[in-house]
Amino acid sequence: MAALWKTCHQCLRYGLSHKSFYPSVSAINVISKRNFKPRWVAPTLREIKRRKDVEDDRNGGPKIFHRSTFLEWNYDAEIFAFSNRLGEKFNEATLRTALTHKSYVERETARLSDMGVDSYLQIQNNEELAVVGGEMISKFTNGYLRAVFTQVPEELITAMHDFLTSTSNLETVGKHIGLGDLMLCSDFPCESETYVKSLKAVVAALAESSGEERARIFVQDLVVTQLYGLDINELWNPSDPVGNLTDILKREGKAEPEFRLIKHSGQNSVLAVYYVGVYSDKNFIAEGAGESLEIAKEMAAREALKQLFHTEDSMKALPFGRQLKNIQSKIVQLENQPNLPLSKWISEKVTSAVH
Amino acid sequence: MSNKHLFLPSGFIRTPLQNGLGRYIPQLQRITLKFCKNHGGSRGVRDFIETDLMEFAKTNPGTVVYLKPRRHRYPCMVAEYLNGEREYLSCHEFSRAEIQKWLSYMCTRSGIPVMRFRKYQHTDYPSIQGVWNPFTHQAPEINVAQFPHEILSKPVNNGPTATDQLIEIFKKTQIKDPVKPEH
Repeated sequence: MAALWKTCHQCLRYGLSHKSFYPSVSAINVISKRNFKPRWVAPTLREIKRRKDVEDDRNGGPKIFHRSTFLEWNYDAEIFAFSNRLGEKFNEATLRTALTHKSYVERETARLSDMGVDSYLQIQNNEELAVVGGEMISKFTNGYLRAVFTQVPEELITAMHDFLTSTSNLETVGKHIGLGDLMLCSDFPCESETYVKSLKAVVAALAESSGEERARIFVQDLVVTQLYGLDINELWNPSDPVGNLTDILKREGKAEPEFRLIKHSGQNSVLAVYYVGVYSDKNFIAEGAGESLEIAKEMAAREALKQLFHTEDSMKALPFGRQLKNIQSKIVQLENQPNLPLSKWISEKVTSAVH
Repeated sequence: MSNKHLFLPSGFIRTPLQNGLGRYIPQLQRITLKFCKNHGGSRGVRDFIETDLMEFAKTNPGTVVYLKPRRHRYPCMVAEYLNGEREYLSCHEFSRAEIQKWLSYMCTRSGIPVMRFRKYQHTDYPSIQGVWNPFTHQAPEINVAQFPHEILSKPVNNGPTATDQLIEIFKKTQIKDPVKPEH
């Protein structure tokens, strides 16, 4: 034991003083340089690590500390940097309120009353701001989706909106703008709900400080961009595409859809493929492929619907950021105007594509 | 010559939270500069702090700068990124200019660890018209054709055979009205 302590001291003297000892951090990337250490350093470090791992496993994971427990921490500076990082101007009091949770206020009040100081803390929490912010995020997302996907039925808009405003998506956004260290909450490590609440409250605080316009752009830049690279047809597709296609064509006054086998190969094998095409009054609409005739027919109907809604694989790229400058007014207009549902969808009623 | 023996992971270019698509958010959250007030190895850091640090802080208002003067310790900088990664760099015996360069390097990174990029471009739409499959450009007549078929059974891009070419040449050399021999 004494020998180990002595070697530890020697480690520190020889070269470990280079390393900053943050016991809580498990992953720290070192830009490595050529360094010749004595022979015993590596085996000693290995043994120390092994013992540390045993202890961590026994305690159910490595010990983690909140960033604010470090000596180098300045909450005011962090708040200042947060608003500058995002390029937004916040009213500081509102921002601090947005980052304070009810659980923190309760914990502090309990702590003070334990110490004997029975004072009612004047700190406001972010409950109300979170509710307002949540509605705003929902509204802005819907506005964007309806302005960009003008010819899509409301069911798909709802599916995309639900994905974008889901807890997991908002939690990711909150984590990556640095909310984790700034939030005042009693739970550590912070739960998803806490992150989501903070983000919603921050959006509401931004609307209060800089106006709704800036808050809309903020949501478009951070929340809606998570739609990039996603296949939206994975989020929702109609349960009865053949029926839906028939209804739509009937409503438009066109002939009933006719399904014809176009190509097939390997019928008696495991790798059978059938290509079925949809025709309306002998005009080709779309084709779909599948392992059996029924599947191919359904895929063909789905492709036809995708073409009507302009959501094919080859559809135009979604606009983000600066590209939205011209359609902001349209986005505002459509925030409260839902698209046509699938049961009423008809080509003439939807306006032509925006971009 | 494979990737298995390398400690450097490889991957495709990516960015956290689609940074840059909407707005650009500088990913460096905070940077801690640790140095000794007395030792010679920290001279570069001390000079940097005295001269260039304020300008750096003004140009990067989204990054918090912490200074840790610690006696008898070598200088270093630890950069913390928004995705939770940390980068440690020893600044021992660095000059002021070197510190400046390394700091600007830290600023322009996202926290994603250094890796070998497999490709320098990426697209989400690799095919616009659709990927080729054996049915592309096939004549629809094959669906109702009876095989062996006069045209479809034969190879597609056959030019004239050597025999055909010779026949053509012979036909060209033929005179329309053959001249009766003098004899």
